Amino acid sequence: MSLLEINNLVTSFKTEQGKVQAVRGISFSVEAGEIVGVVGESGSGKSQSMYSLMGLLSDNGVIEDGSMIFDGHEISPAKFEGTQTEWEKYMEDIRGNTISMIFQDPMSFLNPVLNIEKQLCEPLIYHKNIKDKAELHKMAVELLTQVGIPSPEERLKQYPHQLSGGMRQRVIIAIALACHPKMIIADEPTTALDVTIQAKILELIKKQRDRLGAGVILITHDLGVVASTCDRVNIMYGGKIVETGTADEIFYNGMHPYTQGLLSCVNNPEAEDHKLRPIPGSPPDLLAPPAGCPFVDRCEHAMKVCKLYPAPETRLSETHKVNCWLTEKGKI
Amino acid sequence: MQNAILKVDHVKTYFPVSTSIFAKKQYLKAVNDVSFEVGEHETFGLVGESGCGKSTLGRTIVRIYDPTEGKVFYKGQDIGRLKGDELKKFRKEVQMIFQDPYASLNARMTVGEIIREPMDIHHLYGSKQEREERVSQLLETVGLKPDHIRRYPHEFSGGQRQRISIARTLALDPKFIVCDEPISALDVSIQAQIINLLEKIQDEMNISYLFIAHDLGAVKHISQRIGAMYLGSLVEIGESEELYRNPLHPYTKALLSAIPIPDPQVMRKRAALDLDGEIPSPLNVPTGCAFRTRCPKAMPVCAEVKPELQTVGTSQVACHLYAK
Repeated sequence: MSLLEINNLVTSFKTEQGKVQAVRGISFSVEAGEIVGVVGESGSGKSQSMYSLMGLLSDNGVIEDGSMIFDGHEISPAKFEGTQTEWEKYMEDIRGNTISMIFQDPMSFLNPVLNIEKQLCEPLIYHKNIKDKAELHKMAVELLTQVGIPSPEERLKQYPHQLSGGMRQRVIIAIALACHPKMIIADEPTTALDVTIQAKILELIKKQRDRLGAGVILITHDLGVVASTCDRVNIMYGGKIVETGTADEIFYNGMHPYTQGLLSCVNNPEAEDHKLRPIPGSPPDLLAPPAGCPFVDRCEHAMKVCKLYPAPETRLSETHKVNCWLTEKGKI
Repeated sequence: MQNAILKVDHVKTYFPVSTSIFAKKQYLKAVNDVSFEVGEHETFGLVGESGCGKSTLGRTIVRIYDPTEGKVFYKGQDIGRLKGDELKKFRKEVQMIFQDPYASLNARMTVGEIIREPMDIHHLYGSKQEREERVSQLLETVGLKPDHIRRYPHEFSGGQRQRISIARTLALDPKFIVCDEPISALDVSIQAQIINLLEKIQDEMNISYLFIAHDLGAVKHISQRIGAMYLGSLVEIGESEELYRNPLHPYTKALLSAIPIPDPQVMRKRAALDLDGEIPSPLNVPTGCAFRTRCPKAMPVCAEVKPELQTVGTSQVACHLYAK
């Protein structure tokens, strides 16, 4: 049984303009010890699907359908066995404990008026019920050492503004690791950082995955980051997963025109005279998403059927699946 | 260089910082003795980690900041001495595109007003009518629709907003544009659109760019030459293909080896990054070579003498490893 199984998740938001269908029926699973990349542009629903999983949707957000089974337990609010309050209590218990999250912007995630030690010990006190000050201090030092922060004793007394961006991100990772989570969700963990720091942070995430055997979901829009870390990749577009496969299947045998478009519009500095082929147009409006394939308006191979009906899933291998009428009809 | 449109000559830009009123006045050395030239119709890329002074250098070139020492020459004229009509002409010909398309457009002006404003200020074209026509032309050039003219910035996506700010920049027929991270706030599929647009208008209007970015992939794609900057100084300048294939300075090497390549097999073979620590504070720049505290090849001489840029092959590099 997989560590996490998401089946047909549908999430929408009520707004003044109408219902925004952010996530429109996605299914995927994550095994222990594996890094799964979720790639998509802003507004593709990648972050909101994770917030749905964590029970962190804003007030106007609703999970309309689908099941989410984490570690053998159903955690979607509608199907949870128990009352709303019991669900909230359950989610509070697993958040930061068995599932933890690493956010994009370390400055807005850390509390500016608490020192690093207080913030680092909070999950330990709350989830593990450790009260002994000396023990907490020892654990905090150990956590900072694990994420590669030099002179941890001094750092613990400092406040977030005294640390650089890379250091803050390391502190966030230390907090996420504090309770030895079974699953780590990293939402664009390196987007705000320099490439040199990014390389170090990605190495760190891989190392901690190996140490804890945790499953990792890495949300990103950078295909370079995906290539350097992920075992499997889900490509999201317009609230749907349009293609899923191992990293090699996606990068060398990507079938969906969106996947191919993404790969040909990134700068691969290894390529000799590489001509960028941008994808024309912009992503669909999720207030009124197209009835058929979400990519239809930007796709150069679009056919009549693409406009009318969503493409069925075509299985290309045990791991490689694509939702596209072209593959379904055997045209490419 | 024969036809340099811009010449940066030993520029230093320092900012005074006071920690307390009794403390000795300290200077943050954002740009510390930088020299380079940009040719006509050339794109010069500038890369480096955040805090290395690349944006300050860009702003010094368009005279948002005045250099503490050194001079910037535009078409042979010292921009620090420009006054009156000459300064106005410089302001018209040298433009800037900013990183954040959400912050750089006035939310209370329509797209038409935003693009027309620079033309109004510089009294270009005879009548308002002609300016309006020019606005429609510009919208077409950057790939927006004519009916967008009456809309407000919030109605547009990030990529479209960046197109609006490019149209505003082009309104004055600039000859030199400083692009300060113009694509880093955009989605990947949109980044390529903007890069292609910048290349297209460069060819059509014969513009030179200073392209500042931390994404080396994009910089290599668009630039003919690249300068790598570390703690306020240029450590290496080279032809972009040469700099990418044969980096000389240990910092350039480290920076290049940190770029993630969208190719899983290449990434699996790659060794861990050989660069420890973080960029030191520009308030307290290490003596000698600024990079020596993180350099895997540091020697005793690196702490004593600041290396000067010297020519090695077709590149210029500031490193004692290449001392003759």
